[in-house]
Amino acid sequence: MRLPLIAAVTLLARTTLAVFADEAFKVDYHLALIGEPSDASLFHQPNPSSRASLIYSVSEEGVLGAVNPRDGTLVWRQVLSLEATARNTSFLRAGEGQDVVISGLGSQVAAWSAADGRQIWSVDLGSQLADVEILELSDGKETPGPKDALALSTTEKNAAVSRIDGATGTIKWQYPLDGGDAPYQVSASATEVYAVVLHKTMMGYIKLKVISLDPVTGHKKDEYVLSSDNELATPDSIISVGANSASPIIAWTDSAYSVLKVNVIGTKATSTFSIEKHNGHAVTSIKLHAPYHVNCLSHFLVHYETSDAHWAEVFHIDPKQSKVEKAYSLPKISGKGAFSTSTSDANVYFTRVTRDQVVTVSSASHGVLGRWAVEDYGVAGGTGEVTEPLRSVSDVSIKGETVSAVRSAVLLSTGDWVLLRDGMPIWSRPEMLASVVAASFVAPAEAEALVHELEAEAHSNPLQAYIHRVIRHLHDLQKLPVVLPSLPQRMMQGFLGTNEDEDVASDTFGFHQIVACATKNGRLVALDAANLSKILWNRQVADLKSEQTWQPIVSSPKGGVIEVKSRAAAGTQYNASSGEQLLSILPIDVELDAAAKPVQYTMRESTLEATMDGNAAWHFSPMDGERIVSLVPRPVNDPVASIGKVLGDRRVLYKYLDPNLALLVTAKDTARSATFYVLNTVSGAVLHSSSHVGVDLSAPISSIMSENWFAYSLTAEASDDSPKGHQLVVGELFESLVADDRGPLEVTANYSSIQTSTDPFTLTQTYQIPEAISKMAVTRTRQGITSRQLLAVLPDSHAVVGLPYAVLDPRRPANRDPTKTEQLEGLVRYAPVIDLDPKWYLNHKREVIGLRDVVTSPALIESTSLVFAYGLDVFGTRLSPSFSFDILGADFNKFQMLATVAALAVATFAVAPLVARKQVNRRWQFL
Amino acid sequence: MAPHSDPSPQWLQALQHPANPPKSKPANIPDPPGFTPASKPNKSSATKAPRKQPTPAEIDTLKLKKAWEMAIAPAKSLPMNAIGMYMTGNSLQIFSIMMVFMLFKTPITALINVQATFARLETEGNRGQMLGVKLAFVACNFLALALGIWKVNGMGLLPTTRSDWLAWEVPRDPIERAYYVPSW
Repeated sequence: MRLPLIAAVTLLARTTLAVFADEAFKVDYHLALIGEPSDASLFHQPNPSSRASLIYSVSEEGVLGAVNPRDGTLVWRQVLSLEATARNTSFLRAGEGQDVVISGLGSQVAAWSAADGRQIWSVDLGSQLADVEILELSDGKETPGPKDALALSTTEKNAAVSRIDGATGTIKWQYPLDGGDAPYQVSASATEVYAVVLHKTMMGYIKLKVISLDPVTGHKKDEYVLSSDNELATPDSIISVGANSASPIIAWTDSAYSVLKVNVIGTKATSTFSIEKHNGHAVTSIKLHAPYHVNCLSHFLVHYETSDAHWAEVFHIDPKQSKVEKAYSLPKISGKGAFSTSTSDANVYFTRVTRDQVVTVSSASHGVLGRWAVEDYGVAGGTGEVTEPLRSVSDVSIKGETVSAVRSAVLLSTGDWVLLRDGMPIWSRPEMLASVVAASFVAPAEAEALVHELEAEAHSNPLQAYIHRVIRHLHDLQKLPVVLPSLPQRMMQGFLGTNEDEDVASDTFGFHQIVACATKNGRLVALDAANLSKILWNRQVADLKSEQTWQPIVSSPKGGVIEVKSRAAAGTQYNASSGEQLLSILPIDVELDAAAKPVQYTMRESTLEATMDGNAAWHFSPMDGERIVSLVPRPVNDPVASIGKVLGDRRVLYKYLDPNLALLVTAKDTARSATFYVLNTVSGAVLHSSSHVGVDLSAPISSIMSENWFAYSLTAEASDDSPKGHQLVVGELFESLVADDRGPLEVTANYSSIQTSTDPFTLTQTYQIPEAISKMAVTRTRQGITSRQLLAVLPDSHAVVGLPYAVLDPRRPANRDPTKTEQLEGLVRYAPVIDLDPKWYLNHKREVIGLRDVVTSPALIESTSLVFAYGLDVFGTRLSPSFSFDILGADFNKFQMLATVAALAVATFAVAPLVARKQVNRRWQFL
Repeated sequence: MAPHSDPSPQWLQALQHPANPPKSKPANIPDPPGFTPASKPNKSSATKAPRKQPTPAEIDTLKLKKAWEMAIAPAKSLPMNAIGMYMTGNSLQIFSIMMVFMLFKTPITALINVQATFARLETEGNRGQMLGVKLAFVACNFLALALGIWKVNGMGLLPTTRSDWLAWEVPRDPIERAYYVPSW
């Protein structure tokens, strides 16, 4: 049965394309994400003359993006730094009435055109930024156009306050901060620039030192230390406040959150307020919300949070006496809440988003200006989980004295970014998917059950299989009453080709698998691999503290079950379709016969160690000065249809198929060399190794191992005889290079790698590729009959390409044309350069940024492999490397077929009486 | 005809090419003396001496002769078939497949019908010799079959190479399996 299939596949293998024009945007999907927005988010009008505004945000992933609040589409985005650490502070400021937004991340301050995201300037200050502000003063000396920016940079050596020209990015003046104080914040009032630095006292406490500078010249005007007693132990208890208000303030608490102290910068007096406790729960966090404009009322809101409730207090500053007074407080509400500040002229409005309502109050009085109930955030959560708002940014429309509408972009605890307009969710962006750290395909339980039934039929004798099938079909008949009513509709849809949104359960071809993604924040998100429009479920699976990271491994031990393993938890299993945790841990089905003796190997401090039955089996330590870069074992489930390669003259080259192969990459930084080992992980033997010198080790080295071949890519530095270039090396292992020879083991049924070691014969070929590859994957199909594609992530062109294996084949004849038999095999002459054919780009015109990994999974039909790539963006598609030979394509003309059948039927009925009469007449016309 | 250019005399021409040769001789006019009609068959002698019936031995010889002709007939068409097969090439197309099918069908049906083919020609007397004829007939048909097999082999349809049996070769099972355990 297999032989004709293989023949058919080899016939088709030559003209492989990745994407057809009519399939683009239908079988693939892409989420252009920016990541969970940080506190640096704001509504801003990109065009000062129009009232339409966009939401700007620097995300926790280090991406600056502008989102249209109308429908949630991404207007533009710029990657500031993909290596942004989890709590890297980022800054985003926009001057009122300006078409520029200024971002600060890492050591870089950059200005971007608000409408289209083009960079206007960028300045690298050479050290980590502590604060970025816009200098909102009109002293007549600044250039027209964008307002200047103030940046505070840290690091002992070049800590400084810099004033950067808003139009050109040149530094107007720089005031160095020396003396070993840690710069903390820069604030600007209408007349002065204040730099707040943290001064460490002898006792280990922190004193706040305020330096006031002249905004025009940058000269120091004054310097004083605030009397903060001994309550400031760490910078964490300072409540940062962006401070471009008429009266910039700084607030701090003691470590127990019992007292709040506020100082209006520029004065030496501090106001002290005691913080009340709530139901015995201590306050766990305090946040300060204040308007960002100089000409607004100097009111601010302090947001208190305990483990189960939150409330807020609004304070007024008397600018003349620099006195801080408590104006009113907002009631305690259980659960978490998010506050945001909006301004309209001089008025300040606070919008509070809680679990079930949106409330807007004016900063002047506690009267509620608008209250809207939030019925549902419209996002998928875990079972029994309450969706909490975490952060919000609001835009308030004022009509006269009342608030006519409020738009709030709210980051929820599920990681979704939702826009609420008057309490109604308008759109949501699944921004938690920008921080996926591990993902895996899970086949739905129904599909897996069918596969098992079919396998049972294939392996039993024909009679039993027949009885089994009849019984199965009888069971299927029970579903008939459910199927029948929907049948006409399904036929109609099938005829018109509109049956796009099938759900996971009724999936005939296995395209609707579930993708389980573990995010950085300890959540597990389940997606439908063929339809990203909705998230199946989303639940918290790991309780991570801030700063804590985890490296989970997501896998699927059997159909319909997701298993998450991490260092903290040995392995927790979840129902793939509902997300419920499975109480009884199912015995792990290792998909292998129990007779196999397991060898376990692990990586410890740059050596590989293997144990067998608890005893040390082997260990591999790289040579002096070498470190292990990566280890890629052959996938556990890697079906291979044919154990040999059929040559053009119908002889066979036997593949070296050992499931225990792994490709190990080591690098030596001093010698700038990289070595690649193919290991037998049972015996620890090195089967093949190759070493490359002059390797750019800062560039990514990616590797893959599949079937009987491996591939790796590296960036070679320029040498005397070759320029700098990216190389892709492909190696294929054979039992023997003599045709029809199955190696020394011949046809032994089973073998032990420890007792008999056979070395493979390896053919390798090196290709020059135009770009570095950061990650490789390979397509997988159910039986391994379909030819393979090597999927490569190109970080520089934000793309994923699928390279057909025929292009990479190491058996391509070099320096000669292929012989006739080689041509029959489909081998073409070796060319050292592989040009990436535009047809191989799976993402076609999309820009897929920041991909970390690609996972693949076989569909139920042999021709198709599902692909899911994650990182900053989420991209998925399905591939048919040998064309869809087992499914009707979209180009199949159903109408033509039906019309032909109908025409034949009509013709038959029309001609039947004619023929009958002719036959009767012939009887009568005797001779 | 050009009388002036021809050097022979008129009477000779008239004799050789009679302008109006008589279709049949009028009954009342006797032949001139010395005239012997050239193409008149001697009816009287044929009717007088009827042909003698062939002896059974003669018939046997005749039938044997005929049988030999039939026996080596398939061999006669072999060169023609071989050329045809060579011309159709080794590609798998509907035309060449049909030709190859015919190439097999003809000798096989002939082999099945050996007795029926020679039943008319077989007599008690020539049974011994007929055995040799049949053997020759079978051999010729086997030659045609061999041509078919040669053709099929050329088309790559005979499972003669290792790759044809590859699907029945089982992969070797390793006794040990190794698993990577992340160490975090």
